[in-house]
Amino acid sequence: MWRYIGRKLFVYLLTFIVAVTINWMIPRFMPGDPVRSMLSRASVGDPEALERMTNYYNEVFGLDQPLHQQYLSFWSGLFKGDLGISTMLYPQPVLDIILRAVPYTLGLLIPAILLSWIIGNRFGAFAARSKVLDNTVLPVGYILTATPYMWLALLLAWSLGIVAGVFPVAGGYSYSLRPDFSWMFISSLLTHWFLPFLSLFIVALGGWAIGMRNMIIYELEADYANYLQALGAPRRLVRRYAFRNAMLPQITGLAVQLGTIIAGALLTEIVFNYPGLGTLILNSLNSRDFFLLQGIFLFVVVGVLIANFIIDIVYVLIDPRTRVQMTGGSS
Amino acid sequence: MRVLRLPAALAALAIAATACSSDGGDSGGGGEYPRNETLYTTGTAWGPPTSWNPMMRGQYTVGTIGLVYEPLFLFDGETGEYVHWLAESDEWPSENVHEITLREGVTWTDGEPLVADDVVTTLELGKLDGSPYSNVWNYVESVEATDERTVTVTFSENRPQEWMNWAYANPIVPDHIWSELSETDVTDGPNENPVGTGSYVYESHTDDRMVWERNDDWWATEALDLDMDARYIVDIVNASNEVTMGMLNQNEVDLSNNFLPGIDQVLNSNENITSFYDGPPYMKSANTAWLVPNLTREPLDDPDFRQALAHAIDLEQIVEGPYANLVQPASPTGLLPEWDDYIDHELVEDKGFTYSASEAVAILEEAGYLDEDGDGYVETPDGEPISLTLEVPSGWTDWMEAARLIATNAQDVGINIEAQFPDFDLLVDNRNAGEFDLIINNERQLSNTPWTYYDYLFQLPVQEQQSTVNFHRYENEEAWALTEQLAAVPVDDVEGAAEITSQLQEIQLTDLPAIPLWYNGLWAQSTNEYWTNWPSEHEGTPNSPATLWNGWFELGAITTLAEIEPVE
Amino acid sequence: MTNVAGAPGTADAAGAPEPAGERKGSETLHFARRNPKLLIGLGIVLVFLLIGVIGPFFVSDSPNDYVGPKSRPPNGEYWLGTNTFGQDIWAQFVYGVRATFLIGVFGGGVAFLIGTAVGFVAGYKGGIIDEILNMLTNVVLVLPALVVLIVAIAYLDVRGLFVQGVFIGLTTWPWAARAVRSQALSLATRDYVDLARLSGRRTWKIITTEIAPNMSSYLVMSFILLFGGAVLTAAGLDFIGLGPSNGVSLGLMLESAVKWSALQLGMWWWFIPPGLGITVIVGSLYILNVGLDEVFNPKLREL
Repeated sequence: MWRYIGRKLFVYLLTFIVAVTINWMIPRFMPGDPVRSMLSRASVGDPEALERMTNYYNEVFGLDQPLHQQYLSFWSGLFKGDLGISTMLYPQPVLDIILRAVPYTLGLLIPAILLSWIIGNRFGAFAARSKVLDNTVLPVGYILTATPYMWLALLLAWSLGIVAGVFPVAGGYSYSLRPDFSWMFISSLLTHWFLPFLSLFIVALGGWAIGMRNMIIYELEADYANYLQALGAPRRLVRRYAFRNAMLPQITGLAVQLGTIIAGALLTEIVFNYPGLGTLILNSLNSRDFFLLQGIFLFVVVGVLIANFIIDIVYVLIDPRTRVQMTGGSS
Repeated sequence: MRVLRLPAALAALAIAATACSSDGGDSGGGGEYPRNETLYTTGTAWGPPTSWNPMMRGQYTVGTIGLVYEPLFLFDGETGEYVHWLAESDEWPSENVHEITLREGVTWTDGEPLVADDVVTTLELGKLDGSPYSNVWNYVESVEATDERTVTVTFSENRPQEWMNWAYANPIVPDHIWSELSETDVTDGPNENPVGTGSYVYESHTDDRMVWERNDDWWATEALDLDMDARYIVDIVNASNEVTMGMLNQNEVDLSNNFLPGIDQVLNSNENITSFYDGPPYMKSANTAWLVPNLTREPLDDPDFRQALAHAIDLEQIVEGPYANLVQPASPTGLLPEWDDYIDHELVEDKGFTYSASEAVAILEEAGYLDEDGDGYVETPDGEPISLTLEVPSGWTDWMEAARLIATNAQDVGINIEAQFPDFDLLVDNRNAGEFDLIINNERQLSNTPWTYYDYLFQLPVQEQQSTVNFHRYENEEAWALTEQLAAVPVDDVEGAAEITSQLQEIQLTDLPAIPLWYNGLWAQSTNEYWTNWPSEHEGTPNSPATLWNGWFELGAITTLAEIEPVE
Repeated sequence: MTNVAGAPGTADAAGAPEPAGERKGSETLHFARRNPKLLIGLGIVLVFLLIGVIGPFFVSDSPNDYVGPKSRPPNGEYWLGTNTFGQDIWAQFVYGVRATFLIGVFGGGVAFLIGTAVGFVAGYKGGIIDEILNMLTNVVLVLPALVVLIVAIAYLDVRGLFVQGVFIGLTTWPWAARAVRSQALSLATRDYVDLARLSGRRTWKIITTEIAPNMSSYLVMSFILLFGGAVLTAAGLDFIGLGPSNGVSLGLMLESAVKWSALQLGMWWWFIPPGLGITVIVGSLYILNVGLDEVFNPKLREL
């Protein structure tokens, strides 16, 4: 098992290095030098912060240095937790801005992923049992997974928000409130949260349901299931075995789908002007704040890696084969 | 169902975490601003508030000048008159001396009284490098406090139009604070605790909003009988058009100063949302959008070619298309409707251009621009192919649409123009350096004098970097001499000024250094759910601008704030 | 990057296909004709393909022209109504469908080429090459594609369908590589492949003549999924404002509908068709894919 985890960790470390390298490479090998021109154009007021910004730029982008030197200093800046200074929200450090937006994105993502995964799996397993249900659920599921996240978000914003007027369609909380820990503020947070969450949840749900349904069918066609059936085991029992076995690939699927769901969350946030990372990406794109954009990129990658690792651990703990290995290995 | 419980708990936890972590705002205390005492505005700020330093033009939080710091005069664009503000009275004892008497009983928000030295210091700050008005010392000789409340300004060169422009566009800062600041603090410091004479003081800010609180000791309450009914002004940093539209529909903002596509449909269908005019164009005009050609490039350096281009553009289509009649086509002189007195209408009748594709083709043919190679586009008289780009900033949806139309119009008469949408900053760089074919620009706003527009069109000398005026790089000594003459005309001599502007228009209409397109609107749409008595064309409502952009408080927007009334 | 979690064809659990034969072909056809999912999916996709291919010839003007009255709901003259400017939404839709297929074929195609090449080489060669390629695949797989794309494309000044397709291809191939690899791995040890190897034929030759044909059904399905993924990714990019600068696409239509407040103004005919178009095209492709899977994989036919 440790070999497995070690191997995974190695891949993640490698991915992180690749991501940082991409981050380092893109501004350098794209035509022109957008970052420097951004800096020179940034109407920067506070001279102290401008100095910090220029220092940072010289340190990580010091273009007079040889390439490998630039690359190393890019890393050293990173380890100091310095992602540069935003030009859009000047003179705030990029890291602070990102940390403010992250809770909103996580608050959307975590419930949406977990709930859609659990309910989707149940639903898929349930659907695989009956032919009628299967024939209706399957197309619906596929249509859902084929729905662009932002379009469903638009439909919900329009129908439930604008036409019905049940939910607010923009922002993280009402503009008439000052953030505090009151019931009024939290309820405002929740009503603003609901629609983005719902649209994310619905699209993701379809994928899990189909995945589970397909897995169950593969499992039921497997030799062990046929064998059990031939032995006269109750249908329910066979199903239960199938479900359990199908769970494993679904957990791996969770890791594979993470990138897609995050992309979906970003697009959904943009539709609802929800103050998370997605809206931040759009704003930084519009104001050409490349430090911020790249900071968000690194942040998302690190988030994905951490989530992947957690999924790996869960996988190892659940998978009977590795479990046996664990106990067997120790004796 | 055992499995379901954990995630549900997790979800709840996540929500709670979101709630807690977003609690870290820096506003004092929580809770709600009382809705009937709070005015919600948007459409002024394009980024989070970071500076309250009136010397940092373009960077200070909107409202810093106007709500906190105030000028000596206001300028009423409707009547063309100067309104005494911090100045109680003023006179010109001789041609080159301006004597200004300050109001009595005006105090800074730290309790100190307003004195003549404040005005002196404010002007002296112009001597610093990086001061936004250092050019004032090109024609001001000296400024003195002759007594506690009287300031005497002596001029080395008489430019009353330019001076009065300074006097209403620049706020007075307190001597007892600003004279002690270091040079960098004056020009670059964020000035987090602004002390002004104005009607509002800083309350709090977050990245997405600026909150001002009423100054209950404001001098004008007594002196001018102006009452600010809004205890708080919450200015929300611009979200996207559709978000703003949504907030307006749900009465979450009271005043929006954004260009909102489709607002005409809302104005027509929603009784509660109003603008200045009931019908098209709905808004007043704020500035002129110009099509700026680069006169250093062929064939744009040829006036005939520019005439042909001007005749080719179907402004009606732009006005009715992307703008849905929210703007009006500009006069061929480019002067705003407020400056009608300065327009030589006979001359315009005679020499002004109007849309006519056939006329455009005729001008091209006559000047030798013909399509010899049969690709559908004309070549220069030398036979060189013509291929031009028209650039507008990416994301400026209305302008992008307009640029596409202009390109199509031009192609229809055989001029090969393609619309391009570079990033705004890049465009500014290229514009300043003169590296473009055609751009659209509207940087000059309505002001006290058409001089600002001719300054924009004709200013010399042309430098390597042109950052505020004459982007087209037009060089005409005669025109610039006339423009300087215009600056020297006494402020109340409209006829004298009109004589000069007529000559300027002769040059402008013949040469067309830049082509006026349409008047960009003074965007203002307001909801009447919580606040009413917004400026409109109707009797009994204010006539002042309801636009809180930079530079518009001095043009009367501050009085609008005093005129609006809460709905009981 | 596809939305489908563990869609058929992605699952490593899928049994290795048998060598194809003459008789088998007709048998497949027999089942294909009777598979409703395949037929319905294929039918819808073909209808849209037809719209995209010949539709533009019937809407005379270029789709961004202002041709009609402004903000009209669908009517006899303008089938899908007009937008704020008086642009014909049906005309834009038709061109948008064409762009959708183009980006799907192009983006999906690039991803397919990279993915299958990596997968085949890794699966067939094995050993250290496999290790390295597998590592590479895993790394790219973990990177969130859309975010990488946003950062990369944000730096480009001029954007077009071509560039968009290449970038999408470069970031979305790993999953296909992984699936192809596992198939190739099992095929590489078959007798006839060994035989070919013994006869001294080149690796590339063996892959293209012996291995690939035997998993052609699998490859087709992979391509379809990559196609769908590319379409969705491109739509996302267009929506953020990173789409082709001067083009027409369904994603750009959505973007401009939102920008010009179609939601607040209740102009549903502006934002529903483009999204619906994407959903139906990609959804039908997925369903078509399930159909194909059932046809090619005998074990699934009973259902």
